[in-house]
Amino acid sequence: MAVTAPGFFEPQPLLSRLAAAAPRLVVACGMAVVMLTRQIDISVGSLFAWCSVVAGLLAGARPSPPLALAAAVALGAAGGVINGALVAGLRLPAIVVTLATLVTWREALRLYRQGVFVNLPEGLQWFGLPMRTGQLLVCAIALVVLCGLALVLRQLAIGRQVYAVGADAEAARLAGLRPRRVTFGAFVLLGALTGLAAVLNLVQSPQVDPATGRLLELEVIAAAVVGGVAVSGGRGSLPGVFSGFLLLTCISPALTYLGVKPYWDKAIQGLLILAAVAAEGIRRRKEPRG
Amino acid sequence: MSRPKSSPAASRLRRASRRHEWLLLGILAAEVLVFSLAGRNFLTADNIANLVRHSTEIGLLALVMLPVILTGGIDLSVGSLLGLCAVVFGSIWRDWGWPWPLAAGGALVVGALGGGFNASLISGLRLPPLIVTLATYSLFRGLAEALTRGTDAFTRFPESFLFLGSGRVGGIPVQAWILGGAAMLLWLSVHRMTWGRSWRAIGFSPEGALHAGLPVSRRVVTTYVVAGLAAGVAALTYAARLGTAKADAGTGYELAAITAVVLGGASIFGGTGTVAGTLLGVAIIAVLTNGLGRLPATLSIAGELSGLCTGLVLLAALAGSAFSDWWAGRSSRCRGATPGDGTAPTPT
Repeated sequence: MAVTAPGFFEPQPLLSRLAAAAPRLVVACGMAVVMLTRQIDISVGSLFAWCSVVAGLLAGARPSPPLALAAAVALGAAGGVINGALVAGLRLPAIVVTLATLVTWREALRLYRQGVFVNLPEGLQWFGLPMRTGQLLVCAIALVVLCGLALVLRQLAIGRQVYAVGADAEAARLAGLRPRRVTFGAFVLLGALTGLAAVLNLVQSPQVDPATGRLLELEVIAAAVVGGVAVSGGRGSLPGVFSGFLLLTCISPALTYLGVKPYWDKAIQGLLILAAVAAEGIRRRKEPRG
Repeated sequence: MSRPKSSPAASRLRRASRRHEWLLLGILAAEVLVFSLAGRNFLTADNIANLVRHSTEIGLLALVMLPVILTGGIDLSVGSLLGLCAVVFGSIWRDWGWPWPLAAGGALVVGALGGGFNASLISGLRLPPLIVTLATYSLFRGLAEALTRGTDAFTRFPESFLFLGSGRVGGIPVQAWILGGAAMLLWLSVHRMTWGRSWRAIGFSPEGALHAGLPVSRRVVTTYVVAGLAAGVAALTYAARLGTAKADAGTGYELAAITAVVLGGASIFGGTGTVAGTLLGVAIIAVLTNGLGRLPATLSIAGELSGLCTGLVLLAALAGSAFSDWWAGRSSRCRGATPGDGTAPTPT
């Protein structure tokens, strides 16, 4: 890569690209936690749009950006509470619950905004900092989230509980854990991180498109899966998610440098996910059966 | 109605699913009543034909999603495969200059191949269906975009092809015949044939089905191939109805189809679900969408409102099924019986 396309590694476009993708990394971290508990959430894209729009409106109405940003995180967490209550409380299947919330939130937002963009106040862009510092700050926040969660998952008891619940919820319950609380917490965490990601995305543009976040769920699930998080729960790590995210983020600009037309993007992303899961499947097959 | 030979657990299950279907029928009747009273031109022959035309693609996809979900799988790629088949159809017809029936055959072959590709990864490599079809969701749509370079659209199809989208046979829209035929075939295989029953057995317990001597992987492969084939058929009716074939054809249809199946009472974990329930699920969503567009008060926001209502109806159906499970579990505990888990074997 470095040999064939030296332009790819020039710092400025690389930084812009990473800053633009940083929100996805934040959501992917939360998604990884939910997937570790053997659940899934496909409603993050709609929630992301709601958080962006509400934060944008609040920031425009009353120029107190910190408040608006906090509201986005709180709204995200509230969305997570609803998903978590339905999945962990009523024991409904996560894929169907989040399918329902995906449709409901998206359509409610469409009804509410009618496709009108939200204009953001001047001072909000890059948190009021110069562009370069702002980009660095966005990337730094995403990295802090990544490293913090990685440490929690590896080192703290609550992190190990996530793995225990995902590997075998019944065994975890017999060992004295509260699987439903852990699952609920994972959904709330993902919701809050979705709100944070919406903020990180918000500060990069002068407007909010109410249709933002479409297909976000696919991108972040893809990053988690390519990074080795098992859909069957209990296996995977955040450094893996980070590498999956980097691979998926860099693949399309990298291919452009190599002369592949951009309309092949989606097909190549699909092939990459397939290759990653197929490798995982073959590896699992070779393992001796326990 | 229950046959004398069936075990108590199985007949209880059948009764429960019947109760769910009556509930759906009630919802549908209420919708029709409200819209025919409050809406303009709702209960006219033209509007009903229109309603059927617009729900054919999602209806077809929901019908073939049912076997997939019965086996405990899921197929997120059908909407994208629809797009790919539509583009393949258009390019064979226009760029290769073949007559349209041959191009239609090509689209069906591509659909079956796409379904087979999903099936080979899911069944051959034992990968989770959710992830495989998530990847092919992206792959098929990406191939469709690559084939058309993102922007190209195929139009000006011959009159004989457009007949598929707007013609009538015996006074009934062509799509109604297609949808009815597909529903008949599905009903026969799911409820009246052993291979359809084996789908349910696999969904209840894949291990158990294997030990019972069922060819599990072959049966699972059929469900995905049939789903791919139906995506091909839906691509043809879609192109014929709109008169164009573009790479973004059928975006979001997989979610609508899954919604209809789940609304129809199928368990996403596999094992339960009926064709009648699925059809009712499709009808409830279709009538809601169509009817809201005919209420004077909601004319301008009908599209958004119907989407929102679909989501809310799905949430209500989920909560309702959770509640009825809880209630059934409670009442059977009260009688001191073991809660039936529906896995009782059906005597031959």
